[in-house]
Amino acid sequence: MNRRVSLPPMNIFAQIFYLLRKEITLEWRQKFAISGILLYVLSTVFIVYISFQNIGPQVWNVLFWVIMLFASVNAVMKSFVQESGYRQLYYFQLLHPIAILLSKMIYNSLLLLLLGGLTFVALSFVAGNPVQEAGNFALALFLGSTGFSITFTFVSAIAAKADNSSTLMAILSFPVVIPILLLLVNLSAHSIGLLSGSDVGDKISLLAAVDLMLVAMGLVLFPFLWRD
Amino acid sequence: MKKYWWKVLGVVILFYTIFVGMLTPLKTGITDASPVSLRTGRSEVLTVQGYNSFFTKEKEKLRAWLKMGSDKALAASRIEVVDDRVVRLTFDIPAYLPVEQKVKDFTLLIDSPVDGASVLPGGIVVTQDSINTALGEALWPNAEIAKLHEKAAFTFPFRNILSETIRNTYYHVPLWMAMFIILTAGMVMSVRYLWKSNPDDDRKAMALTNVGLLLGILGLITGAIWAKYTWGKFWSWDVKQNMTAIALLIYGAYFVLRGSFEDPEKKSKVSAVYNIFAFASLVPLLYIIPKLTDSLHPGAGGNIAFGSQDLDNTMKLVFRPAIIGWTLLGVWIAEIVLRSARLRDRLMEV
Repeated sequence: MNRRVSLPPMNIFAQIFYLLRKEITLEWRQKFAISGILLYVLSTVFIVYISFQNIGPQVWNVLFWVIMLFASVNAVMKSFVQESGYRQLYYFQLLHPIAILLSKMIYNSLLLLLLGGLTFVALSFVAGNPVQEAGNFALALFLGSTGFSITFTFVSAIAAKADNSSTLMAILSFPVVIPILLLLVNLSAHSIGLLSGSDVGDKISLLAAVDLMLVAMGLVLFPFLWRD
Repeated sequence: MKKYWWKVLGVVILFYTIFVGMLTPLKTGITDASPVSLRTGRSEVLTVQGYNSFFTKEKEKLRAWLKMGSDKALAASRIEVVDDRVVRLTFDIPAYLPVEQKVKDFTLLIDSPVDGASVLPGGIVVTQDSINTALGEALWPNAEIAKLHEKAAFTFPFRNILSETIRNTYYHVPLWMAMFIILTAGMVMSVRYLWKSNPDDDRKAMALTNVGLLLGILGLITGAIWAKYTWGKFWSWDVKQNMTAIALLIYGAYFVLRGSFEDPEKKSKVSAVYNIFAFASLVPLLYIIPKLTDSLHPGAGGNIAFGSQDLDNTMKLVFRPAIIGWTLLGVWIAEIVLRSARLRDRLMEV
């Protein structure tokens, strides 16, 4: 086993790329985590389906985002909570904290996008697909997974510092994520045709603004959280 | 004593807002007129209920009109004062309405030298059998409404539905603003803690946030009581109420987070970070989202705020000091919380 250990480069973008590759490789190696979360989505969709049986467009819309919300919390929770203390120390010596946070946020966004796609396919499979404007819905899904990923990743970093982190994760993140969730339900209601109006563009830019603000807060605050 | 001037000031202001805010009478208003629906071509008698009115004083100078828009007004042909609160008005309504509708709403206006002018906006409906606009235009007089009186005393505005609940402007709204000021101060203390790592800054942030949460709960309760009398229910699933409940949950989570640390330094740092993050998410919650959706709340979703009703600025004289008063009281409570936290921390060290 004479593999050369390559040190991560010092450029922050290169660090992000490096960490992202590491996250994906790790996920690929231990497939149980990601298959667990995918199974979680499938079984939730199925439970919801057999409890409701007839799912109208309005209920479909709400259920989609509620399933997304709970699956996202479960998927993102592990990002900081499950990192061991030694590995944290290792990162601390080598990497810029912003690179660590951003790489986790990007990785989680991709993961949540995948989860959202799966939830959509599964829910459409059992309950029909009410979406009329696919582009709008895809945009809502993209902004939604980014917003969820940003909030949950940051809260997971906070919760990881405390002792009973899994309870804290829900308590801390749900109230913070509600504005995003409300905007998302509203936006996708537009794309399903439940709501009509010309202010879709306003809501999209508002959602993007909230996402950006949360990223900015995260980037400013994370270095303080990191320093132990 | 010099040190405590602001506490004295806060208490004096709050006593002022409670006494003046509660004891100042409202302007004269009209709470009810019956029958609500009148017919054309008849001489109809309206029984009008006044609020805070003194119809028997100078009753011969009482005047009343049914008003439509700005150019049609029908003066009452006979005014019979029953007592201070009840007056009977007789209107000789022409045979046709000056509009192309079967039904039209009119505003009732009463003027008295003692009480000033009072209105019942859109409260009277007149129905006609057939439409003849030209004849209606000719028949409806435009009685001159001039020399309206102003009530001389110091009063608050009277508005239907709101009536006495308008006084909540001095409690609910300032409590809410004081909460925002104090939470902002708490957030600033958290920023200062991250900057300088002085444990006392974190205690200050904790104390201020504690009081902010208390003021927020009081603001929610006063708002819900007000909503019971104006919207009909304590909780109407209004966006403003829901967002507020969420905001309180966020700050509740702040204290749960504080409780889950053993190490004081770690606790201070992580909760300072969360406090800033929570404050940043509070702004879209309380000030952006309610503006996007329909809301019953004054000042949101197209409803007017009470400030626009305060034509002679009497409400501002109580409302503005009330903000300062509640803020000062809040800071005082926060100071006591802070001192007890300092003592507790010192005990832990011993």
